[in-house]
Amino acid sequence: MTDIATRRAFAAFAMASVLLMSAFVLIHAQPVGGQLSSPPFACHASFLAAEGDPVAEAGENITTYPNEHITLNGSGSTGFEGSANLNYTWKVKYQSVTRTLYGMMPTTVFNKSVTGTGVAEVNLTVTDSLNRTAWDTTLVFVVGRPPTWLQEHGLEVVGYGIIVAMLGTAGYVFGRRYLAGEALVSPAEKEKAHLALSRWGKIFRQLVRNPMGIIGVVILLFFVGMAVVGPMISGDVKTVQQGNDFLPPSPDHWLGTDNFGIDIFKELLYGARTSMVVGVFSAVIASFLGAAIGLYSGYAGGMKDEIVMRLNDVVLSIPWLVLMIIVAALLGEIDLTGIIIIIGLTGWSYTARMVRAQVLSVKERQYIERAKAIGASDLSIIRRHIFPNTFPLVFANTILTVAISILSEATLSFLGLRPEGEVTWGTMLSFASEASAFQIGLHWWILAPGLCIVVVVLGFTLLGYALDEILNPKLRHR
Amino acid sequence: MAKKSFRRIIARRLVNVVLTIVGIMILNFALIHFMPGDPINEIFPRSAKFSDSMKDAFRDKFHLDESIPEQLGWYLYNTFTGQWGDSYVWNQPVLDLILLDLRWTMLLVGISTIFTILIGMAVGAYSAYRRGGVFDVGATSISLFFYGMPVFWLALILQLSFSTSEPFGMSWWPQLPPSGYYDTDRFGATFEWSLPVFLSVLKYMILPAMTLAVGTLAGVSLVMRSSLVDTMTEDYILTARAKGLTDYQVLRRHALPNGMPPMIALIAMDIAFIIGGAYQVEYVFNYPGIGYRTILAIEERDFPILQFIVVIGGVAVVIANFIADLVLVYIDPRIKIA
Repeated sequence: MTDIATRRAFAAFAMASVLLMSAFVLIHAQPVGGQLSSPPFACHASFLAAEGDPVAEAGENITTYPNEHITLNGSGSTGFEGSANLNYTWKVKYQSVTRTLYGMMPTTVFNKSVTGTGVAEVNLTVTDSLNRTAWDTTLVFVVGRPPTWLQEHGLEVVGYGIIVAMLGTAGYVFGRRYLAGEALVSPAEKEKAHLALSRWGKIFRQLVRNPMGIIGVVILLFFVGMAVVGPMISGDVKTVQQGNDFLPPSPDHWLGTDNFGIDIFKELLYGARTSMVVGVFSAVIASFLGAAIGLYSGYAGGMKDEIVMRLNDVVLSIPWLVLMIIVAALLGEIDLTGIIIIIGLTGWSYTARMVRAQVLSVKERQYIERAKAIGASDLSIIRRHIFPNTFPLVFANTILTVAISILSEATLSFLGLRPEGEVTWGTMLSFASEASAFQIGLHWWILAPGLCIVVVVLGFTLLGYALDEILNPKLRHR
Repeated sequence: MAKKSFRRIIARRLVNVVLTIVGIMILNFALIHFMPGDPINEIFPRSAKFSDSMKDAFRDKFHLDESIPEQLGWYLYNTFTGQWGDSYVWNQPVLDLILLDLRWTMLLVGISTIFTILIGMAVGAYSAYRRGGVFDVGATSISLFFYGMPVFWLALILQLSFSTSEPFGMSWWPQLPPSGYYDTDRFGATFEWSLPVFLSVLKYMILPAMTLAVGTLAGVSLVMRSSLVDTMTEDYILTARAKGLTDYQVLRRHALPNGMPPMIALIAMDIAFIIGGAYQVEYVFNYPGIGYRTILAIEERDFPILQFIVVIGGVAVVIANFIADLVLVYIDPRIKIA
């Protein structure tokens, strides 16, 4: 292992760690498994039997998970000693459909397996020989399974794993150098770091001097702060609060409460993170795919290029919105990761086209020919010469893609493709419009998330344009 | 010579168009085909009343027992021979339903798109012409603001601000119908053309058209401005000015023709999206066009309609791009030589 290779490995590791760490910090505090974690409300009906009437006792309320078998042991008796001719009827009301189970079968035991979350109302009716009845209802709460240890702590494990790996690598590299008696940081590395720093510093100074850039930076700083801090302040926004719904704005609930009885302002704070996470991650996926595909097709050329570009045409012209909703309808429900993947997988084609065009123009330059002449491999030419020349464009474009991804998420949510068990600005708007928020006086339920989306998208767009102006050599002289 | 290469370019692009359309159909087939679940079980309720022989008959009819490549062959064959199937819900040929909706989409989206493209180009051109001026800064910032606005949100806001009576106590505030396509209470549910009906149609069109216009206007004027700014800073513009041409002549003869290519691509896309329908606007305003039909079909899992809409939406984009390419080749001599 040469020293250069070690250093590169170190640098790559450091970069990957920083990226993953930031990803980790973004997702970390997000609760895993968005289902109801406790029964939303409890109710137990019991009736005092008049003397002589039969008595029914359906059993205690129970809480269970989907697809579990439940057994209720009911009991009943007549008011009169000796008259034991009782008939037991079980009825179950689930998702507002009532079914009579074990219709005429006289049994006191109720057996059923339930699918899907919700509340099932199980009713036991006892009829005695004189046709007098008594009934009792018990509730079966079917709640989402609690997250497994891996679901709850998986991200932490990954995050700490990365930190350990990073420290380990650093220790390994520095340890080797120390043992070999070298300087821990070579002068070349210092110089490189210095240059890189001054380059980024220059870009940043240009950005801040650019009016579009500075507005974009200020807007995004605000919303990134909101995304980091918001969910910590908001607390739990996923538990349904029965009887608390559609409250008008008040000092307790600044913007009122929604159809689940959840504070809209808290949802807004919480949604900042989910919406930004969707936007950033799907844009990163799209840009990564687009850059890889564009580099490949531009550099390979010929028939391979032709095939990739035809595929790109197909992806560009399909109405994705419709197609994705069809796919989601067929798949059933979809979670936040699913939404990120969908937006990411469908958004790469524009980036791919742009990168390909840039690769085509870079490929013809003389230094590429010279690199080939001294025997550089294709991979190293792409890595050392072509990719660095396309990266600024990809970077500026990723920022613009974030804006589009946030809009896509909102639109998908509005048209019915909501991430299951999550709260984003898009799902807020979707529920608000279903509940006709304006007519019931909850104007802010529609206005606030919409305005947030508009301003965030504006921030990303401004920053993207400004970066494009700074980084794109074609636009620089203007 | 030039003519021959022109023909070759067209032939090449035409081959690409056909390939892309076939690709769209294969992707459409594949995505729906590889979903979990058996379509027969979706059609028949789970009941003993439906015997296995009935199911087998259906499998046979829809070629579901054949291999996937054979099924793909059937799908392509049926598509190219014009057998697009019947809607599950309306029991009518898909094509008839879509053609009915297309009228309304054309009326609403078509007219507003064409007008806004024209206005947007004018706004963009004037901003580029007076770059840095008050008009430019104002128009660009307003455009950027509306550019990032979710269309459905704007639709909701407009719908609600014009349907509540006297919002914030403004008695002069105009009232506009919030949904539908003409006054069905006054003129009956069956649609018949007459002057009052036509006026009512126009009145019902105002809000959705306004919503559509704002989005398109922002996009068109931004692109127009940036492509004109690109050309206005070229050296030949300076030369033209030095020759003593008036500003208008410079704009008309030198800047506009050279700044057109990105505009033509954008216009082609906007026009293609007319066919695709404006889902969000039509959905919010209950406007019975293709977009509204799509959303209904999604809610009712009406797959024949959905598949057809995906394909015609894609084909419209492909053809619009093809025409845009032709126009570009026609107006730009450089492409012909290359």
